[in-house]
Amino acid sequence: MPGDEPFKQEVLRLAGPEVLTCIQCGTCSASCPTANLMNPSIRRLIKLCLEGKKEEALHNETLWLCTSCLLCTVRCPRGIRPKAVVSALKDIAERTGLQGKDAAYEKFFLEQIKDYGRIAELALTAKFLLVFPQGVVQSMQMGLELLPRGKIGLEIEKIKGRDEVKRIIEELWKE
Amino acid sequence: MPIGVYVCHCGLNIAGVLNMEELKSFAEKLPDVAVARDLQFSCSDVGQEQIQNDIAQLKLDRVVVAACSPRLHEPTFRRAIAKAGLNPYMLEMANIREQCSWVHMEQPAMATEKAKDLIAMAVAKATLLRPLEPESIPVSKNVLVVGGGVAGIAAALDLGDCGLHVFLVERRPTIGGYMALLTDVFPTNDCSICVLGPKMSEVYNHPDITLITYAEVLGVEGSVGNFTVSGVRKARYVDEKLCKGCISECADVCPVEVPSEYDFAIGKRKAIYIPYPQAVPLVACVDPKACIGCARCVEACPAHAVKLDQEPQDFKLNVGAIIVATGWQPFDATRKEEYGFGRYRDVITTLQMERMLNASGPTKGEVVRPSTGKIAERVAFLQCVGSRDSSVGNLYCSRICCMASLKNAQLVKEKYPQTDITIYYIDIRACGEGYEEFYVRAQKLGINFVRSRVSCIEEVEGELFLIFEDTQTGEMKRVKHDLAVLSVGLEPDSKADVLGNLLGLSRRPDGFFEIAHPKMRPVEAHIDGVFIAGCASGPKEIPISIAQGSAAAAKAVKLLHKGVLELEPTSAYVDPEKCIKCKLCVDICPKKAIAVKSPAYVDEAACKGCGSCAAACPVDAINMRFFSDEQIMAQVRAATEVKREFPLIVAFLCNWCSYGAADLAGTARIQYPTNARNIRVMCSARVDPSFILEALSRGADGVLIAGCRIGECHYRDGNYQALQRVNVLKGVLEKIGLDPGRVKIVWCAASEGEIYAKDLRDFIGELKAMGPIGTELKKERAEEKNGETALP
Repeated sequence: MPGDEPFKQEVLRLAGPEVLTCIQCGTCSASCPTANLMNPSIRRLIKLCLEGKKEEALHNETLWLCTSCLLCTVRCPRGIRPKAVVSALKDIAERTGLQGKDAAYEKFFLEQIKDYGRIAELALTAKFLLVFPQGVVQSMQMGLELLPRGKIGLEIEKIKGRDEVKRIIEELWKE
Repeated sequence: MPIGVYVCHCGLNIAGVLNMEELKSFAEKLPDVAVARDLQFSCSDVGQEQIQNDIAQLKLDRVVVAACSPRLHEPTFRRAIAKAGLNPYMLEMANIREQCSWVHMEQPAMATEKAKDLIAMAVAKATLLRPLEPESIPVSKNVLVVGGGVAGIAAALDLGDCGLHVFLVERRPTIGGYMALLTDVFPTNDCSICVLGPKMSEVYNHPDITLITYAEVLGVEGSVGNFTVSGVRKARYVDEKLCKGCISECADVCPVEVPSEYDFAIGKRKAIYIPYPQAVPLVACVDPKACIGCARCVEACPAHAVKLDQEPQDFKLNVGAIIVATGWQPFDATRKEEYGFGRYRDVITTLQMERMLNASGPTKGEVVRPSTGKIAERVAFLQCVGSRDSSVGNLYCSRICCMASLKNAQLVKEKYPQTDITIYYIDIRACGEGYEEFYVRAQKLGINFVRSRVSCIEEVEGELFLIFEDTQTGEMKRVKHDLAVLSVGLEPDSKADVLGNLLGLSRRPDGFFEIAHPKMRPVEAHIDGVFIAGCASGPKEIPISIAQGSAAAAKAVKLLHKGVLELEPTSAYVDPEKCIKCKLCVDICPKKAIAVKSPAYVDEAACKGCGSCAAACPVDAINMRFFSDEQIMAQVRAATEVKREFPLIVAFLCNWCSYGAADLAGTARIQYPTNARNIRVMCSARVDPSFILEALSRGADGVLIAGCRIGECHYRDGNYQALQRVNVLKGVLEKIGLDPGRVKIVWCAASEGEIYAKDLRDFIGELKAMGPIGTELKKERAEEKNGETALP
């Protein structure tokens, strides 16, 4: 089956034309701290993009396991930014209506920044767990450990000049 | 000034399209023309004799031949008129075959009109020709070879055997380069020093080779045939004549031990040392940085050779040619931090492995873990360390590392069959005679191959762990090894920068010295009389380095063996009255042939006549002996004298590529319209903006400049200079209200006749859309008028 050329071109536009120069050496995968959880590996993910295999490239956990540590990008011998490929795929996934955990989390995260100027961990986690309830028990256990040590607070802290932050974020959303 | 014009039929090649009678009678009426004839085949003996007879009888002093391309028969006609007693440079050709009759076969009438212009242009140029004498200069028959590695040794021996005298200058205390330090060499696994050692001795004993070791070149003046080279011999603190090379007497008593650079720091040497037992010259040397001045060696030396008060000595050499064989340096593996070289003792480089495997090396041939001194049992070779890696700026493949690792892996396996050996590679590059077979041999020996680029090495409790993805199975792995060998790549020797700058050599983006043409001139530099051999121009295996050394030697012999050098009299010259000493020409000259003392001065031996300086000079103080400003201007004026068609294009074509492309379009009978009047120049950079302005102001509708493809200029970067000038000129045109599109610059290689024709067709289309020159000015004026009347 021929590959999805527009999809490939879109990835190249977002992640840079040097993706074409990939030699599949595996430096990115081997450098990745979450590689053991990924399937396909980041190396394979790039190959899928180059072959225009849109479905396989978008429907996987690999995208959402990237921690953006950039070790792949630092070490790539071809000057490719595998992290940028992941971002490009997330972007495309979102545009095509694929909502991953990551995207949802990012949305809640930004909403809090917009409203309060900073993050309230408890509220954020609660909101997130309502949508993606997997791991709720684990999260609660951790919360119970953190609360008495003062690592997380129940109150929502707010910063000065929230209007300005709100304006900036809304401005960015417009784009 | 009687001129003879000869219009050639070339059988029917020209006469089949053009009206020969009309051309002949047109030529007869041109000023200064004493005779015009049409000849069946002007290049035949009969044709040449006719020209020679006319020269004798009509006292012609210049000749115009309207025939084929000057690239084909200019030498023929130059010889012919020279035989009749004229100066060979009193000839001009009009190209009415390749660039007229062959490309306008369907439009004979317009083609004849175009041919008239071409003949008029040639006659106009001919009236301004001046006799030129090829100058001969005596040249030195000495050659300087810089670098005593295997390439430099090959060059020196061949030159010496041809009877030229060689000065071989080496920076280190011994010649031999890296090859002398290797153990066995691929693909035959023969002992490196056993084949190189005899050559090193031969250099030392050769009557026509002066060996200058432990020395640096510090100055180069002059040009091809006559370079003056100055340098310094560093103090060895040992008298070369007295030292017997006994190796041990002085070093044994020396109390200072430092890591040996000849063992890449896995072995040690004393402060007074001989690099290795086969060193040439076999003379000790004191390392001034390590020596504590205890003078025990002075007492111990039975020959009284140690002289701690020795001074550096200057030297000065006169040579006719210089061979740069400065070689390479290994990639600094500490730059790949993730591999831990320099932090983990059991991570070593290929060169350290070579020394360990070497029977006379620091471990006497045993492959041990530096941390424990025990024999290594699980050895890993990591390929492409510092090569094919844009993160360290080296995108190129170092060519030899795959084979070196295959070889070292085999040597280890043969010596210790129980050793577990793995080569981690991206691609195995085994391209060479017997190389792939060598790869198969390694596989059959049981060496493991994993297609993977190791991401990092971790050391945990004295053990090394390699982390990688086996890209053939997709598995993430963490594998234990006890010795990791980094296959470090080759980089240009950073110490060669001094020499490169002195000679004005250019570097490629990868940092190695650039050769004059990537295929056709593999050992020549851009600077005449300078040759490059071996790894100085890029990573190479030993046989290729030797071949290049010999090739460079042959080139130097060709240049110097006659003892005189004939110079093409086509160089630039300076009018000292006009020169304002702005030094623009000095920077522009690709041959470093111009110096501004008071005033500018052109070294005619170095000048190749591209004419970029003449185009650049802001006060027109530089002119060319051939393709002079006046001659080109005369051609432009003749081309625009009568406007025979619209659009009329004056085209400047560089001799090497685009003129060749236009000729090829003719040979291939590619048809295109007749609008262009071609003027041959040596380089697109020769085109002075004043030529373009002259053409436009005299009614040409457009000017085309065609040069070699970007990056392929015969003079290195003339086409970039032309591009820059055209871009500036376009701005000027726009300011005065002309469409900047009337000047177009295009690139075509000599093989691209089709592209030349297409570019020309496109340009004609664009000019048709613009209308005749000045249309835009009229429009502008009309608009201004309308604007005025619209105002209340």
